[in-house]
Amino acid sequence: MRMTNRRRTMAVWMILTVLLLVLVTAAGWHFREAASLTDFSRKNLAPCPAYPFGTDFMGRDMFLRTLAGLSSSIRLGVITAAVSAVIAFFMGLAAAVLGRTADAVIGGLIDLIMGIPHILLLILISYACGKGFWGVTIGISLTHWTSLARLIRGEVLQLKESTYVKIASRLGHGKLKTAFAHMTPHLLPQFVTGLVLMFPHAILHEASVTFLGFGLPPEEPAVGIILSASMKCLVMGKWCQALFPGLLLAGAVLLFHFLGQGLLLLWDPENAHR
Amino acid sequence: MKKRDRAIGAGLILLLAAGTAACAGGRGTEPSGGQSQTAEERGGGSRGTGDRESVVVVMDPASEPASGFDPAYGWGAGEHVHEPLIQSTLTVTTADLEIGYDLATDVRVSEDGLTWTVDIRDDVKFTDGEPLTAEDVAFTYNTLRDTSSVNDFTMLKEARAVDGDTVEFSMNRPYSIWPYTMAVVGIVPEHAYGPDYGEHPIGSGRYCLKQWDKGQQVILEANPEYYGEAPTIRQVTILFMEEDGAFAAVMAGQADLAYTAVSYGDQQVDGYELLAFDTVDNRGFNLPAIPSGETDDRGVPLGNDFTCDRNVRRAINVGIDRERMIQNVLGGYGTAAYSVCDKMPWYSEESEVAYDPEQAAELLDRAGWVMGSGGIREKDGKRAGFTLTYAAGDSVRQALSEETANQLRELGIEVQVEGAGWDVAYDRAQSGAVLWGWGAHTPMELYNIYHTAAGGSYARYSPYSNETVDSLMDQALACSDLEESYELWKQAQWNGETGVTQDGDIPWIWLVNIDHLYWSRTDLQVAEQKIHPHGHGWSIVNNVDRWSWK
Repeated sequence: MRMTNRRRTMAVWMILTVLLLVLVTAAGWHFREAASLTDFSRKNLAPCPAYPFGTDFMGRDMFLRTLAGLSSSIRLGVITAAVSAVIAFFMGLAAAVLGRTADAVIGGLIDLIMGIPHILLLILISYACGKGFWGVTIGISLTHWTSLARLIRGEVLQLKESTYVKIASRLGHGKLKTAFAHMTPHLLPQFVTGLVLMFPHAILHEASVTFLGFGLPPEEPAVGIILSASMKCLVMGKWCQALFPGLLLAGAVLLFHFLGQGLLLLWDPENAHR
Repeated sequence: MKKRDRAIGAGLILLLAAGTAACAGGRGTEPSGGQSQTAEERGGGSRGTGDRESVVVVMDPASEPASGFDPAYGWGAGEHVHEPLIQSTLTVTTADLEIGYDLATDVRVSEDGLTWTVDIRDDVKFTDGEPLTAEDVAFTYNTLRDTSSVNDFTMLKEARAVDGDTVEFSMNRPYSIWPYTMAVVGIVPEHAYGPDYGEHPIGSGRYCLKQWDKGQQVILEANPEYYGEAPTIRQVTILFMEEDGAFAAVMAGQADLAYTAVSYGDQQVDGYELLAFDTVDNRGFNLPAIPSGETDDRGVPLGNDFTCDRNVRRAINVGIDRERMIQNVLGGYGTAAYSVCDKMPWYSEESEVAYDPEQAAELLDRAGWVMGSGGIREKDGKRAGFTLTYAAGDSVRQALSEETANQLRELGIEVQVEGAGWDVAYDRAQSGAVLWGWGAHTPMELYNIYHTAAGGSYARYSPYSNETVDSLMDQALACSDLEESYELWKQAQWNGETGVTQDGDIPWIWLVNIDHLYWSRTDLQVAEQKIHPHGHGWSIVNNVDRWSWK
């Protein structure tokens, strides 16, 4: 009885979290025009009821800008996490199922990518793809699949030794059919949790690479840009332009992390019965 | 999953750390032996130590000469011109930007403008004790002609020492403004010039290089053998810091003079005052003057269908309220700009226009762009507008671009503002507007901007071409008298019939000249400055030898 209650509370919290994130994303999308509006008659205002986060040196509403920035971060996170999770799924599966050579090649690739610091590789790819939205998207997608791929490969190797998979292949099912029909259902929980847990990474990396000037262009409302612009104000004691957007970014990241952990608890066969 | 937790934690910490690191950046570059006194205990003099013969100046990191103090690699005669301090020059620019003499005692030019003869002083020694001769001058100019990667010396055929104190320059083409080039080229010693000259410069100027800690500071010491008046400031320490670091250094009392930006202008610091110097450091944007359709030989598209109409460009020029822009973006620290060379001897006053939104609207109507839905003008179903690109990371250019967009929207023109790097901006300027910064102590800038490029059919930075303007500038360069050439430069801007002003083709819109701002200790007397050119760097110390402590 107590267990079901905990599961249910968890589920409710998670739904609320999702709703909150969706709301932020939608609001940011809605205000994306207003967020870029400059009005020099209201520049450098301190936080007040009309502008909860104040305004910047061109009179842009920092609250709307932060919202729009978070929203674009989340949308970018959705795309990149989905793409890299799919890459990870197929790479992991292929490594485990397609024999030793495939395993060696993919294993090597994973080692290669993981061997280079994420942010460095990300900057290189983003720069090579002409920066901007697509540069960052491609960069993050191509760098974040490795650990999930490795996880799935290990999972599949374990499954290959399990009785029901062995029976299936004795019954004449080919490698691919076994992989998709028999293994995939078992891998789904890992896959979905891995996908959700990739969000925080994607969002943080998007913010960092933009902060460093290799990501989104500077007129775009993005958290990385807001933070790097606010650096200059810190020495003048205008801390609020950095603090609030930073806190919101950290909050969004933690919410996604919470979602991922929650999914793991509810769904993973090993954890679900706790 | 533990590893992921840690990775996210590390990411968050990194973001926070990036913030504190940026602030600490300034502290890392402070000179050793910091002061522990409080402001009240300090006496006058540099850094409050009472040393009345030294000064500590903060410049931005970009001002540090990457290839050292070698004129061949842009020291003094580079992208941003200034007096080379360590070396002497043949001529100098005076306070009103006419020509005076340093090493030269007489400058003559032949009738055809192809031979310049310069007599030089014979009592000048380099800091290693060797005398400075005409051979050294000829060697310097021939070296720069062959190696200078940053400045144009293609007009020089050869420099030749006629005797010990006379140099003769043979030119490939007449170049009447040669004295302005001579004012920024520091003379190097032939006997001590080599690949490491930039790091160990030997000159005959007011100062010699005592110490250079790359990425941190440069210390200059007065040259005891200097042939002119001895510098009042014996030691100049130059620190290189980002804007926020420079401000922190001022707050900590570590600097006597530090550059700063408009965004810091409303701050108050005890013991310091904010100095604003007039400049010709202008900002403006180009408007392609030809319709789209063509491409250049690299495939870059040329022209713009909206800005190719002269009346549209005229409307934009009178439709911008420069005073409002200065108040909004520069907090009042600037002057309206009407040309690339405001206040220079070769500036044509015909460039000046008054803000007149009604005339602007009328001009746009006449051009066929009539008010459509949503307050944006239209013509044949097309919306009036263009893209304005600014250098990403330059907040002043960004704000000027946004303010331009705001003001032009009132006229019914939709301006799309985009930040980009210089890697793409030059190509974008061929088909759209780019926010530029110019301003130099030579009329050559007019030529670079408006004259049809050699071998091309349009000017280099923005497609535009006018035969009369070209020919007037060619005449100005061919002129053997400098005063006369100023008149021709003025006519190239507007000769009564055509030109590049409001009544002419107006292919560039000039917005503002940005004041150069500095925090200065209240008891430091900075000598009167000549109008600063583009580049918020070494110009300030052009006359540091005449500064003093009150």
